[in-house]
Amino acid sequence: MSSHSPGSQEHDNRQPDPILEITDTNVTYTDGESYVLEDASVSIHRDEILGIVGESGSGKSMFASAILDAVPDPGVLTGQLRYNGPDGTVDILGLSDEQLRAFRWEEIAMVFQGAMHSFNPTMKIKTHFTETLQSHDRSVSEGMSFARELLESLYLEPERVLNAYPHELSGGMQQRALIALSMVLNPEVLIMDEPTAALDLLMQRSILSLLHDLQAEYDLTIVFITHDLPLVAGIADRMAIIYAFEFVEIGPRDAIISNAAHPYTRALLQATPNINSPLEAMESIEGQGPAPANVPSGCRFHPRCPVATEECESVDPALEGAESNRHRVACHHVERAREELTVSTDEAGAFSATESTTRPSTDGEPLLELSDLEVHFESSQGLPEGLIGDPDVVRAVDGVSLSIEPQDLVCLLGESGCGKTTLGKAMIGLQEPTGGSITFRGDPLDEHDDARAALQIIHQDPSSALNPNRRIVDILSEPLLHTHPNASIAERRSRITSLLERIGMTPADAYIERYPHQLSGGEQQRVVLSRALLMDPDAVLADEAISAVDVSLRIEIMDLLLELQAEFETSYLFISHDLSNARYITEHAGGRIAVMYLGEIVEIGTAQRLLTDPRHPYTEVLRWATPALGLDTDGDDEPPVREIDVPDPINPPSGCRFHTRCPVARETCVDTSPELRDCADVDGAVACFRSDPDHQYWESEPLDGASERPE
Amino acid sequence: MNYYLRRTIRIPATILGVATLTFGLIRLLPGGPFTQLRIQLRRRGMDAQEINARIEALQNIRPDKSLPEQYIDYLIGVVQLDLGQSISLNKPVIEVIGQALPWTVFIVIVSTLLMFILGVLLGSLQAYWEGTTFDSVGSGLSILFMSIPYYIYAVAFLVVLAFSWRVFPTSAAADRSIEAGFTVAYAVSVLHHAALPIISFTIGGVGSTALSMRGNSIQVLGREFVEVARLRGLSDQRIATRYVAMNAILPMYTGLLLLIGFRLGGTVVLEEIFTYPGLGFYLIEGVNANDYPLMMGCFMVITIALVLAVYVADMTYGLIDPRISVGDADEY
Amino acid sequence: MQMSTDTDVNWQSERTDEAIDWRDRLHEGFVLRIYEPAIIAWSDRRTQTGLLIVLVYLSMALVDLLGLWRDASTSQAPRMLGAFQNWSYPLGTTQSGVDVLALIIDSTPFILQMVLAGGVWATGVAVIAGTISGYKGGLTDSVITAISDFFMSIPGLPLVIVLGITLEPESPLVLGVILTINYWAGLGRSIRSQVLSIRNESYVEAARAMGTSTVRIIRKDILPNLMPYVLVNFVFAARYTIFAAVALYFLGVLPYTGQNWGITLNYAYNQGALFGLEAIHWLLAPIIAIVGLACGLILLSQGMDRIFNPRVRTRLTGESESVESTPDHTTEVR
Repeated sequence: MSSHSPGSQEHDNRQPDPILEITDTNVTYTDGESYVLEDASVSIHRDEILGIVGESGSGKSMFASAILDAVPDPGVLTGQLRYNGPDGTVDILGLSDEQLRAFRWEEIAMVFQGAMHSFNPTMKIKTHFTETLQSHDRSVSEGMSFARELLESLYLEPERVLNAYPHELSGGMQQRALIALSMVLNPEVLIMDEPTAALDLLMQRSILSLLHDLQAEYDLTIVFITHDLPLVAGIADRMAIIYAFEFVEIGPRDAIISNAAHPYTRALLQATPNINSPLEAMESIEGQGPAPANVPSGCRFHPRCPVATEECESVDPALEGAESNRHRVACHHVERAREELTVSTDEAGAFSATESTTRPSTDGEPLLELSDLEVHFESSQGLPEGLIGDPDVVRAVDGVSLSIEPQDLVCLLGESGCGKTTLGKAMIGLQEPTGGSITFRGDPLDEHDDARAALQIIHQDPSSALNPNRRIVDILSEPLLHTHPNASIAERRSRITSLLERIGMTPADAYIERYPHQLSGGEQQRVVLSRALLMDPDAVLADEAISAVDVSLRIEIMDLLLELQAEFETSYLFISHDLSNARYITEHAGGRIAVMYLGEIVEIGTAQRLLTDPRHPYTEVLRWATPALGLDTDGDDEPPVREIDVPDPINPPSGCRFHTRCPVARETCVDTSPELRDCADVDGAVACFRSDPDHQYWESEPLDGASERPE
Repeated sequence: MNYYLRRTIRIPATILGVATLTFGLIRLLPGGPFTQLRIQLRRRGMDAQEINARIEALQNIRPDKSLPEQYIDYLIGVVQLDLGQSISLNKPVIEVIGQALPWTVFIVIVSTLLMFILGVLLGSLQAYWEGTTFDSVGSGLSILFMSIPYYIYAVAFLVVLAFSWRVFPTSAAADRSIEAGFTVAYAVSVLHHAALPIISFTIGGVGSTALSMRGNSIQVLGREFVEVARLRGLSDQRIATRYVAMNAILPMYTGLLLLIGFRLGGTVVLEEIFTYPGLGFYLIEGVNANDYPLMMGCFMVITIALVLAVYVADMTYGLIDPRISVGDADEY
Repeated sequence: MQMSTDTDVNWQSERTDEAIDWRDRLHEGFVLRIYEPAIIAWSDRRTQTGLLIVLVYLSMALVDLLGLWRDASTSQAPRMLGAFQNWSYPLGTTQSGVDVLALIIDSTPFILQMVLAGGVWATGVAVIAGTISGYKGGLTDSVITAISDFFMSIPGLPLVIVLGITLEPESPLVLGVILTINYWAGLGRSIRSQVLSIRNESYVEAARAMGTSTVRIIRKDILPNLMPYVLVNFVFAARYTIFAAVALYFLGVLPYTGQNWGITLNYAYNQGALFGLEAIHWLLAPIIAIVGLACGLILLSQGMDRIFNPRVRTRLTGESESVESTPDHTTEVR
C-alpha cells in the first residue's frame, strides 16, 4: 500500500470534522407524494473525497442539487443542511436569496456532467470567468491570474482556452476548463456530478489524478457523484452507495471495497467489468431501479435482492452502523449477504479460465480482409477553397491492414478521435475508403452482392438508433422484409415475438406495439441488437454498443451479444474505449484487441497478452487508465503521458504518432515511423521500436519529459 | 475569406438572373410590351418610324432588333442604371425610383426593427411567466395577430384615424408645404406620415415573432448553462439578457432573412393603401397605367434591395453566432 | 388489435407462408393513421377549435355547391341593409342591393381551392426539393440550392403581380400556385438542413446497412420526422396564399370574374367609405371571413405536431409506458 493511499487507517482514527452535515433531507415531487431523495443523512468530512455511487435515476444528482439548495422546480427540499465553513456554521436552507447567491460558488461549487452544456455557447470561456468574479465582487485581475494558474495545473494552455468559445474545445478540455471555473472563487467544497462520464477512459483517469492533486493543493473537500464504482474507488476516501433515492451504505473506501455489507453494493462490485477480477465472477444485476412513483415497500432493493426475506418486503431497514459508526448500512441481512454473495476483487483469480475459449478456425478464406486501408476526410468543402490552398485533410484511418475470420471477434480499442469508428464503418461498407482495399470473402467489398446484407451495425446510442416514429414491430419487420420477403404480417409478428422472448423481453406481445421511447435503454439496445441479427449477418459492427447503458447492465448486454454470436454464427467488430469491457468480450469469444492511435493500429493481440505483457507504451497507458478494483490502487499517480490531449488529427505528429505523448519517446521516434510487426515471442503484433532490441532507438536521446526507462 | 468571395459573386449573378427574368416577362406580356402604347401613338397620327424612336426612348429597347441584341442592350442599360422612361409620369424610371426607394427602405427597416423588439419582449415575458394568465392571453393575442393580415390594420387605421378622425394624413410621405431637409418640422412631418404604415406593418408581424421567441426562450431556460449561471451567482438581469435572450434570438436570425423578402414584397400593398410614394406604390401605378418600364424598373429595384439585404444578413450571421462558422449561414 | 401469435414460426424457422393478410394491414393502417391521430387531435383544445372553424368554411362551400343559399346578384335585396336587421339577409346588403352573406358564401369554394392549391404547391415542392437536395447531396444538391437561392431572392408579392398581369390566371388552382410560386424556396432550404441532420441519425445509417432502398428510407425514416414541420408550414403557406390573394384583389391587380372576398373588400372600401359607419357590415364581413379562416388554420396547426409525436400518442391512447420512459419524473433530468 503506498504512503498516499486514501482511506487508510489514519482517517478512521481521527475525529471526523464534518464540513457539511446533511440530516433527514428529503426532496419530494407532486405535493410530497413521490420522493426523489429520502431521509438522506450524511456528513461530509473536511478535506475528504466522498464518492457517491448509484445507477442513473437513483437520486444521486438530486442529492447534489439539494446540497446547494438548487432543487429544480417543482421539487420541494426539506430537512437540515449545515455547513461548517471558515466563517462559522451556516444553515443552508435558512439563507436568504441574496445570501444563497453569495454562498454558492464561493463556499460550495459544482461541476456538471456535460461541460458542453454548462457553458454559454455564445460566450468566450474568459467571459465566464470574469463575470463570475464580478458577480462575487472579486478582483478580476487577481482572479484571472488564479484562473490561469488553475488552467495550467490542469494541463491546459490558459490563453488559448480563455480566448476560445466552448465549442472550439474538445470534450476533455471543456471539462477541465469547467473544473477551473468551479474553483475560481477558491471554494471549500466541490460537488462533481458525473464530471467525466462523457469522456474517454484515459481522459477520465487523467482528470481524476489531476483532481487528486488539486484537492491536496487547495484543501478542497470533493463530493464525487458517479455511476462508475471502480472509477471513484481509485480516489475516494469514503464511499456512499445510493439506491432508489436512499443511501444504502456509507463507509470508508477500503471497507466498501473489501467488506461491502449491502447486497446491492456487493452486486455492483460484482457487476462491474474490470481487469482484475476473473471473468466468470462478473455477473449483472437482474432488473432495474424503480421510478419514484412506484418504490417497493420495505427494503427497496428486495425485488432484486438474492437474500431477501419476508421481513425485507415489509420493514424498511434503517441506515445503521455495521461494524463501527463509520461504516453504516441499511440491510436486515448483512451477515448472510457477506456469506452468500461473493465479491472477488483479488487479482489471483484473474485469467484463470480463459484458456477454455476456442479461437475460430483460421484456415480457409477470411471473412473480411483490409490491406493498407485509408480513409481521409477533407475538412473543408466547396470548390473555391479547393482552388486556393490545400484543404485540411483529416487522416481518420491511415494505412490499416487487418483480417477477420468467420465467427471472429476483433475489438478496436482507442481514444475518441483515433479513427476506430471510421475504420469500423469502412469495414462494413458504410464509409467509402479513400485508399487501400477491403475484400469480403475474397471479392472486393463493393462488388460482392451479398455484402450489404451480411454486414450490419449496432450503434452506440440506442435511442438514436431507433426511429422514434416507428413501433418495435415496424422496426424489427424491416430486416425480415429483406430476409423473408414473402412472409405475412402474422408470420413476421411471430418471428419477432419469439426473438424478443429469446432475448428476455417478455411478454413480447406487450413490447411489440410500443414506441422506442417506451423502452428502457437496455431494452432499446436489445432491439437494436435484434434488428442487426435478424438480417442474419456475417459480421456485426458494435460501435461502443454498451457505453450508453448503465454499468450494471453492461455485462448482461455483452453476454447476450456472445450468446447470440453462437446462435447466429456471426463475427463481431467491437469498438470500445474501455479496456475492461474489451477484455471481457474478447476473452469470452477468444478474439483479439487491436489498439488504435490516430488512424493506425499500434498493437494487436489477445486481451490476456495485452494486459499481462503490453509491448506498446500506449497500451500500457490505456491499461493505467482502466480502473482496477483493488485496495492498492491509487488515484494520485501522475498520468503516464506527457500530454493529456490527443494531437490534432489534421496535422498528426511526424514519425511515431505517439511520440508527443509517449512516456519513453526518444529522438528517433520524432522522424521515423515504426511498422506494425509480429511479435517474435508472443501472439499479436506491435508498432514500436522498443520491440526490437537492436534498434537505433536505444542509442538515441530521450525526448523532453520522457523517462529513460530501460527495457 | 473564400466564403465571402463566393457569396459576393452570387450577387451580380442573382441580379443578372432577375434582369433576365424581367426581360423575359416583358416579352411575355399580352400582345408584347408596347402594343398598347403603339395603338395610342398611332391614333395620334404618328408614323411607324416615329413610334419606334419614341419607344426606344421610353425603354432602352430597340423593337426592330433581334431578341439577343435587345437582351444585350437591356442588360447594358441596367448596368448604366438606365431603366427606361416612365410612360405615365414622363420621367426617367431611375429618377422615380431614386425618390421612392428611401421611403420604402425607411418603412421596412423601422417597422421590422419595431416588430422584432416588441415580439422579443412579449415572447420573453411570456416565457418567464410560462403558464400564467399573462402567458395564455399573450399566446391567444399572438395567434389573433397572426390571423389578421397587415393590410387589414392599414385599412382600419386609415378609415378610423385618417378619414374619420383626421388625426393622421391619408397620403404622401411628408407635408408638401414643408421643405425637405434636416429640420425638426420636416422630420415630424415624415414621422406623422409614416406612423400608420409603420404601425400596421409592425403589428402584422409581432404575433409570430412573439410566438417563436416564447418557444425558444422556454427551451433555453431549461438548458443546463442557465442553471450553472444561476449557481455561479450571476444577476438575474445578466442571465436574462446575455444567457436566455441571446441564445433564444440567434435561431430567429435566419428566419429574418426570409422575413425581409416577405416584408419588402408587402410594401406594395401597404404603400398603395396609404398612397405612400415608395417603390411598391409606383409598381402598382405602373401596373394600373400600363406603364411597363416603370413597373419592371420598380420590380427590379425591389429585388435588388432584397438581394442586398439577404447578403448583409448572411455576411453578419457568422459574426453574431460564434458557433456558426461563416458559410454555415447557407444551412438554415 | 391484438394478433394471434403463431407459435410454430419462431425467429429461426425457415418457413415462410406467402399469404399476405390485407385485412389485417388495412385495419392496422386505419388505427395507426386515422383513428389514433383523430383522438389526439381532438384532445387539444386549439386543434379542436381550429377544426370546428375549418368545418364551418367547408360547410359554407358545401352550401354553395348544393345551392342551399341564393347566389349573389345585384338588386336582389333592399340596398344598404345593416347586419342582423333582416333575417332574410343576416349579414345585410350592399349599396347595389346584394346579399352580403351570399357574396361570402359564393366565393368560399374558390378561396378554399386556391388556399389548398397554394399550400400543396408550396409545401409539396419544398418537401421534394429539400429532401432530394438534402439526401442526395453533391451536384444535385448544388443545383437545387442554386435554384432555390434565386427564387428566395425575389420578393413574392411584386413577382406575383407581374406574373398575374402576364398570365391572367382565373382558375383558383392556377392562382394558388402563382401566389406561392417562390414560397417553397425558403421552406425547401430549411427542410434540406433538417434532412441533412436526420440523414446522419444512426437509424438511417442502420437502414442503409440493411440495404433498404433510398425511396423507402425517405418514406419511412425521413418524411415522418419532417411531418410536424411540414404541416405547420402548410398552414403558413395557406395563410400566405389567402392573405396575398385578398391583397391583390383588393388592389385590383388580379383579373377577376365574379365575386370574392378580396373584391368585396375592395368595393366595400372604395364605395362603402362614402357611407361611413353605415357600411361597416359590408367592410367587416369579408375581413371576418379572411381572419376566421386564417385563425382556424393556425389553431389547427398549433396542435398538429402532437399527432406526429409518438410520446404524446402513447400517452393519449392510453398505452402503458415503461418505468424509465417518464423523464419528467425521474431525478436525472438536466
